[in-house]
Amino acid sequence: MLRSLYCCLLRLHPSAFRQRFADEMLSILDHTAGKTASIGLLVDGLVSLARQWTLRPEFWHNPWPDQHPAPDGVPSFRTLAPFRPRAGAVIHGLVLSTGIFCMTCFAIRYGWIHVLHVRIPEVQFDVPQSIQMKSGTVASAGPERPTVPAPSDNQSPVARLAAPQSAFNVPTQTPLAPFETQDHVAQNPVAHSSEAGCPQSRVSPCAQPAVEVAGQPKRKLVPESARLGDLQSNSLLLPDSFRFSQPRTEQAKPLNPGTMIRTEGRDVNLSAAERQQVIHGAVANLTKYYIDPDVAQRMAQALWAHEKSGDDAATDGEAFADLITTQMRDVSHDRYLMMVYSTGTTPANPPAPTPDDVARYRKEMEGNNCTFEKVKILPHNIGYLKFNEFPDASICRTTAAAAMASMNHADAIIFDLRDNPGGYANMVALIASYLFDHPTHLNDFYNRSENTTEQSWTLPPVPGNRLAKKPAFVLTSSSTFSAAEGFSYDLKMLKRATLVGETTSGRGHMGMGHRIDDHFTIRIPGIRVINPISKTNWEGTGVEPDVRVKAADALKTAEKLAERTLQKK
Amino acid sequence: MKDEISKFLPLSPAILHMLLALAAEDLHGYAIMQEVARQSEGKYKLGPGTLYDNLQKLLHRKFVEELGRRAEDEDPRRRYYRLTSLGRGVLAAETDRLSEVVREARLRLLAKPRRA
Repeated sequence: MLRSLYCCLLRLHPSAFRQRFADEMLSILDHTAGKTASIGLLVDGLVSLARQWTLRPEFWHNPWPDQHPAPDGVPSFRTLAPFRPRAGAVIHGLVLSTGIFCMTCFAIRYGWIHVLHVRIPEVQFDVPQSIQMKSGTVASAGPERPTVPAPSDNQSPVARLAAPQSAFNVPTQTPLAPFETQDHVAQNPVAHSSEAGCPQSRVSPCAQPAVEVAGQPKRKLVPESARLGDLQSNSLLLPDSFRFSQPRTEQAKPLNPGTMIRTEGRDVNLSAAERQQVIHGAVANLTKYYIDPDVAQRMAQALWAHEKSGDDAATDGEAFADLITTQMRDVSHDRYLMMVYSTGTTPANPPAPTPDDVARYRKEMEGNNCTFEKVKILPHNIGYLKFNEFPDASICRTTAAAAMASMNHADAIIFDLRDNPGGYANMVALIASYLFDHPTHLNDFYNRSENTTEQSWTLPPVPGNRLAKKPAFVLTSSSTFSAAEGFSYDLKMLKRATLVGETTSGRGHMGMGHRIDDHFTIRIPGIRVINPISKTNWEGTGVEPDVRVKAADALKTAEKLAERTLQKK
Repeated sequence: MKDEISKFLPLSPAILHMLLALAAEDLHGYAIMQEVARQSEGKYKLGPGTLYDNLQKLLHRKFVEELGRRAEDEDPRRRYYRLTSLGRGVLAAETDRLSEVVREARLRLLAKPRRA
């Protein structure tokens, strides 16, 4: 305190005196022991201040003579204190400093997104309903389905996120599109075709070039009917990501040919040889990619049997695709298995997603706060986070980090995934990272065709994070899908969170579209999520909640649970 | 030269003590304060304000020159000062003057009072 006062006094002295002697005077104070002596120095400083300003005007502006090397050889230094730069030099310096500042900011931003980003398994779970909404078609999701901000046309965050432990083998085909069940399609065939047309809502949903595939109308002119063509051409656009899709209905039912897919276009009369060729392609792909080789083999046999018996003598391309889909599902009961027909030509070598695709996705995410709908603190200091997707972490890392940071001082945290249809595995890992104080193994991704397994881990502990030990709750519904199920399942297996709500949809496999010929594409689940603790996943069964309540009551229940948990502490 | 020096006389007690302190060796400000206190047996204490005010004058009159800082010093902020030949001359002149004063004083104090 006294020292600070003394410093203030010294600062008030005339600059010439201050520059010359202030350091030494302060040094004397520092070597003076005792409070009384220090107070004496303060008084002396006051007197000196008055003396210097009243009696020593001759020294106010008297620059001290330059310090020449002392006779004993002790070096001295010149200072630039009296130097005054030209105005032009000041302006140049200002411009230069501003430029360097901007470049530094850009480098930091760029580095944050592209360089420092920890690469984690690139697993993309898709969000079909968002496409649907975006496309202007009728949303077919359940009544409580959130208005998930739809990705605009073809956002393709192509940023590939490889697993930190190993390079994630890039699938050579595209992710699977959402699969429609018959009842939904029957009710809303247009919506269905739209959805089916944009399987990679996040990754490569209906890229613009695909819309303009030869023989196909541009989407903006015929937005609904063009979707299927988009699907088929674009389904091959994104080689770097896996994704799940969101079913519109829970129960897979036998398909009713003719209602499954509606695409506008020509009537194609398929010859027996053409049909055989498609079946051959389907069998080859099933045998190679389908997650269960035995089931694949049985499906192949069934397809050949139908072909032999003439059951599949449909001459219409769409009807034939529906028929094949039905035949495959009859054996596998896998509602995500699907043959898709397109009137457009599916390119053999799909173009890579363009920077525009990525830019569009980024813009959309920026426009909807990366789907983080609610971030707030509830009574009793319970953090509540509702996000309606797991967006690409390479785009939304900052937003997610900000949302989690705002939860940092909460005593408990509730993740509301009731309206979350999934998304990117890298965001799953990113958000889960806040719940652990050490890197934690979340799950594995087994690629059957490549016979490889990639691991997904949380990121290293987040500096300053205080949520690692806080009680966590996850709200689920029957609409919780794909990556959102993965997040729930992982935390449940790790006993890190209490799941409250309904059993989830049950999508634990991922797949891709595989081109058979110019018009037929088959979608095959080929990647299985395997939890390291349960050694299985939630495919078909969904994730069971710890506390089963209706989705609408889940939040209240979780709040009470959290409150009770906090009271016990 | 003598006239040049004599114009600075008499010296103030503070300056006299400071020049005396520097006459023996090069010192930094704090050491000058301590040396002055020692010389006067604690009866005359310089505060930093007074010390550096007078150092300012001495430097300006070139009685003293600055040697700069010394790396080996315990406090690198300290600067050392040295008496210049001019300063030494002034001190000598002041000493002579004071000697005369002392001598005169003794004579007067010892002499018997005369009656008019």
